Amino acid sequence: MAGAAARVLIVEDTPTQAEVALALLRDMGHETRLATTGEEAVPLAAEWRPDAILMDLELPGISGLDAMRRMRAEGVKAAVVVVTSQGGIGSAVEAIREGAVDYLPKPYPKARLSTTLANALEKRALASELQEVRSRLSRDRFMGFIGASAPMQAVYRTIESVAASRASVFITGESGTGKELAAEAVHRASPRRSKAFIALNCGAIPRDLLESEVFGHVRGAFTGATDTRMGAAKLADGGTLFLDEIGEMPPEMQVKLLRFLQTGSFQPVGSSKAEKVDVRIVSATNRDPWAEVEAGRFREDLYYRLYVVPLAMPPLRERGSDVVLIARHLLAAFAAEEGRRFRGFAPEAEAALAAYSWPGNVRQLQNVVRNIVVLHDAESVEAAMLPPMLLRGGVQAAPAAPPEPAPMPVPVLAPREPLLPPLTEVFPGLADFVPLAELERRYMLAALDHVAQDVPRAAAILGINASTIYRRLQAWRAEAG
Amino acid sequence: MTVVQGVQPYVDETRLWCDRCPVSAIDPDIAGQLAADLSAADFVRILKTFEADLGRLSAELEAAAGAGRLEEYRRLAHSLAGAAAAVGARRLEQVARIAMDRGNGNDPALLAVRVRQEARAALAELDALTAARQAGAG
Repeated sequence: MAGAAARVLIVEDTPTQAEVALALLRDMGHETRLATTGEEAVPLAAEWRPDAILMDLELPGISGLDAMRRMRAEGVKAAVVVVTSQGGIGSAVEAIREGAVDYLPKPYPKARLSTTLANALEKRALASELQEVRSRLSRDRFMGFIGASAPMQAVYRTIESVAASRASVFITGESGTGKELAAEAVHRASPRRSKAFIALNCGAIPRDLLESEVFGHVRGAFTGATDTRMGAAKLADGGTLFLDEIGEMPPEMQVKLLRFLQTGSFQPVGSSKAEKVDVRIVSATNRDPWAEVEAGRFREDLYYRLYVVPLAMPPLRERGSDVVLIARHLLAAFAAEEGRRFRGFAPEAEAALAAYSWPGNVRQLQNVVRNIVVLHDAESVEAAMLPPMLLRGGVQAAPAAPPEPAPMPVPVLAPREPLLPPLTEVFPGLADFVPLAELERRYMLAALDHVAQDVPRAAAILGINASTIYRRLQAWRAEAG
Repeated sequence: MTVVQGVQPYVDETRLWCDRCPVSAIDPDIAGQLAADLSAADFVRILKTFEADLGRLSAELEAAAGAGRLEEYRRLAHSLAGAAAAVGARRLEQVARIAMDRGNGNDPALLAVRVRQEARAALAELDALTAARQAGAG
């Protein structure tokens, strides 16, 4: 702004002084307005939003200092230069304490006014830039994410930097770290935001249906193809196609995807006609993609097509105080949803949340908070309401790499879920038979421990509904008093 | 009324309000700088504004002093000081600043008269300056 034409509000009750200031400023090419009282200046500054204000301190009615305070309360961000008499340095110092940028003793030559104003405008521009940078560095929410930690600030910056481009984004991170949320954020921050965001979990779709899911099919293409159906690539035309669990994609489909990425066109299953679309690809995996290439499970040429802008989602254990920030947010949301009174966590409970290693990341935290809200009703979440594993004081060793793909959203039988270890390992001290109900209790708790308190996953392993686990937990807590 | 003499004290009848005052009513550095910074038209307009300010403010000052409205008197003196400072009317500015000072010990009515006299002196010098500038421009 310094050097360029600026909007300058003159607050001056003496016509001669005002006329001098107006003439000099106009001569410098600035746009000017005049207020002769503080009462007149405050609403004018709030409405006109000047870049700078030349403020006489001694005004009829409210003083220049009071006018400055009222302007600040109104959100006026102009650089204020106070105009003082030769003996008025004391009041100028007070004005600077109140936020004025500089002072100008009367009478002032044009050169002095010009320099003071240019400096004031430059300071204002710098302060405004600094504030913007600070707010970007300290933001605790971004496109659906909650987190103010340094690793998340890096994620936000990467998303912002890459959003405007068409470049493919490859998101890596353990299960539950928010890879899909990141993909959506890339889409929402991009110029494609008004078009579709289509997410496809490559690991959740049977191999023989994947091609049809991605590229669509024509009627009669295969048994059961009773209608022509658009695939994800066509649906995402002009928008973003998110291929989650890309590492699960079978080799024959990897070839077809590569061709699509190279040409921008595809043939729906059963069709001989190529279709061209404009799609931005965002893919994700919880595995190490290069290790998959080296192991021969993922095509190297496809890797280079997809791995253009890498985005690594940090695990929750590396996000410091984000754990508590997210837990508070989830508690408020779930409490409102379930009609509970919860308003916050007791300090001991927050300390336990912060000390735990969260191998299942945000998804695990989500489940823990959901469990608490479902099973209890109080003003505050006490430490005793937390799952035992959080209270063991054990910060569990985090897995070097996430062992399993993301769980299916519906708690049905999930063949890839790890099976529980044998009973003798689960209950090493079990020498005698125990009542079946007790065995069920222990086994269910062991299953929950095994999957980091993820109720739907435990339910899937045990082959029961999640609601059964919730009911049992509630009953056991009631019995325990 | 005592004629102002260079660095001599001001008038006796209103006690000493100024130890050392400028010889001229107008500070040529300030007025000259203003004339140099602005176009002739702007400079003339400012002097006309100043003249109007002085006419109005000095009359109001005398009325406020006569009626004993001292707050108004001081506020008007402040405005006069500001106007005078803008064009380099240093003697007028100094007298007006004395009038602004609550503890100056001078009779407000006498000071108001002095203000009017200084205003006239300043205007006379400014008229001469304007004429010279217009002649120079012409």
